Amino acid sequence: MPGFSLLRIIQVGFKSLRLHKLRSALTMLGMIIGVWAVITLVAIGEGASRDAQEQIKALGAQNVIIRSIKPISDKVQLQGEMQWEAIYGLKNSDAVRIQETIPGVKRVLPILRHRKNVMHGRRTKDCQLIGTFPHYPDFTKAKLVAGSFLNEIEESRKENTCVLTMSLAGFLFPGKNPLGQEVIVRGRESQQVFKVKGIIQERTDAEKLPQSADPSGHTILSNVYIPLSTFKALYGIKDVDLSVGSIAVNIVELSEIRVEFGSVEEVIPALPLIREALDKPRRSDGAAEGVDTDYEIQVPINELNALRAQKARDTRMLLYIACISLLVGGIGIMNIMLATVTERTREIGVRRALGATRSDITVQFLVETLMLSLIGGGIGVAGGWGFAAFRHHVLNTTTIVTDWSVIVAFGLSVMVGLFFGLYPARRAAFLDPIEALRHA
Amino acid sequence: MATRNIIQIKDLTKIYDLGSIQVPALNGLNFDIEEGSYTAIMGPSGSGKSTLLNILGCLDRPTGGAYILGDDDVAHMSDKELSGVRGARIGFIFQSYNLIQQLDVVENIHVPLFYQGKDISEYYGHCVKLAEKVGLADRLDHRPMQLSGGQQQRVAVARSLVNEPLMLLADEPTGNLDSTTEQEILDILDELHAEGRTLVVVTHDDAVAERAERVIHLKDGVVDQDIRKDSPLSQRQTANRLTS
Repeated sequence: MPGFSLLRIIQVGFKSLRLHKLRSALTMLGMIIGVWAVITLVAIGEGASRDAQEQIKALGAQNVIIRSIKPISDKVQLQGEMQWEAIYGLKNSDAVRIQETIPGVKRVLPILRHRKNVMHGRRTKDCQLIGTFPHYPDFTKAKLVAGSFLNEIEESRKENTCVLTMSLAGFLFPGKNPLGQEVIVRGRESQQVFKVKGIIQERTDAEKLPQSADPSGHTILSNVYIPLSTFKALYGIKDVDLSVGSIAVNIVELSEIRVEFGSVEEVIPALPLIREALDKPRRSDGAAEGVDTDYEIQVPINELNALRAQKARDTRMLLYIACISLLVGGIGIMNIMLATVTERTREIGVRRALGATRSDITVQFLVETLMLSLIGGGIGVAGGWGFAAFRHHVLNTTTIVTDWSVIVAFGLSVMVGLFFGLYPARRAAFLDPIEALRHA
Repeated sequence: MATRNIIQIKDLTKIYDLGSIQVPALNGLNFDIEEGSYTAIMGPSGSGKSTLLNILGCLDRPTGGAYILGDDDVAHMSDKELSGVRGARIGFIFQSYNLIQQLDVVENIHVPLFYQGKDISEYYGHCVKLAEKVGLADRLDHRPMQLSGGQQQRVAVARSLVNEPLMLLADEPTGNLDSTTEQEILDILDELHAEGRTLVVVTHDDAVAERAERVIHLKDGVVDQDIRKDSPLSQRQTANRLTS
């Protein structure tokens, strides 16, 4: 084909497609929906997965989280009418043992949580009182917004200082600077005054939610952080729960122990050692192994790996769906192109009589099919992208358009166009020009 | 003036192989067509007229014999080569115009050049001139649907000229037209002949054949009669020139 002008063929193709606007549009619809669906679904999946990964990463991939849980039937003693007392959970000695015996452990962070009520002036709010060590923000990657976090001196002196989460500070001190102000934390046994010295913002939702089994199931968005030593001195380790109409006293030395390893690789091998370190003293207390433990271990790296594996499976499934929808779109295009070839038999005959070779005809019909699938794919990409952007920015739901989904969706639509266009195009090219000219 | 033979047909045969039976359509045709001549090919149905038209138009290949168009024997060329010959050396005029619906007048005229890789931007002026020549100067951007039958056939005539073919091959060019329009088209063909172009018209219409200087009658796949008139055209041409 000397001096073959592809641009011109594309123009001719446009004219043919424009001649039947509705038909062309309907033919493209399959492609549009297919590509749109692939990009949007992948973007939604990617967004959800990214959110979940962020949360798990915030817990720290090199961290292990050990939490106290209430055993089903252990050590619950009836103390009188409608009053129970349960002693269980992690001990200070557990934290010390882990710190000293497990190889690779860099730091250990003990956390004690009770539900309390915090007030300033007339404003009062349910909160989670958290007693912990000064290096708490390193573990949760919490962001310091104002002031400073607790320090070692306060810890050793058991000072009444506290740090608030940002939303709580905003609630208690509307329009005021909370730093240096005082809040009152009320519990059943005592009522204490704390001086606010900092405001932090937890990085993810995970930190705002109650981590330990909270009988009332309340979500607590408001945290008050105080030195662990202060916590124990002022409130003790008894947590009294009145919410069920009876008095349940939970005696838990530590709500949570967070263990930070030097590197991610050291986490998995250390897990059995941690279990052993925790189970040993419990066995000597007579607890049956593995049946009714009073702790659980959360391993973010495991969750992250599981999540990634899950995501790979989801992605494969999406790809299958994508292939099927694009296949259906392709068959639709082929169907229409075959009908078009029949309808335009005479035109093909005329073009052949006027000097078109078989390859000219093949190229012409292939270009038309490709244009259908390319335009359809293009609209699909734009639509999928636009919808993802809308969902991300307007609906504020994490939606991430991945490059590969665009490439795969668009690439598949091109391949589908080529594959399903070839047969009708060849059929057109191999029509006998004499027969074609005679065609009504 | 020594005239060159544009077409030489020697012992041309065509046999349709229908599997169980073989149907002979052309049984050894022999004739030449000179440059600048105006020939009508006539014959009853079944005489091999259509078969000859297809072979002359390089749409079909003969079973035997030679068909020399210009300087080349095109009888046994490949499909691709024949496409090239059709595009470069033959100007088709069909009974039912056969314009391409989605293209306008100028674009339709350009189609044969398109398949020779000649871009319309370079040949636009050439195509417009041809449209003007057939009297469609004010319809350049019209689609075939917007034109009358006579106008469509004018476009087809212009299209047949665009590649400067060796011969114009017309198949019942006025078969779909009323008598007034028929005369207009035949007048245009006369003009083209007067310009020195070679015309071959396949028809069963005596009014069409009357304009030709030579009439070849086919019967049962052979040349039955080959009548050369004594230049009736030149007389009419003189008359035309006098009146215009």
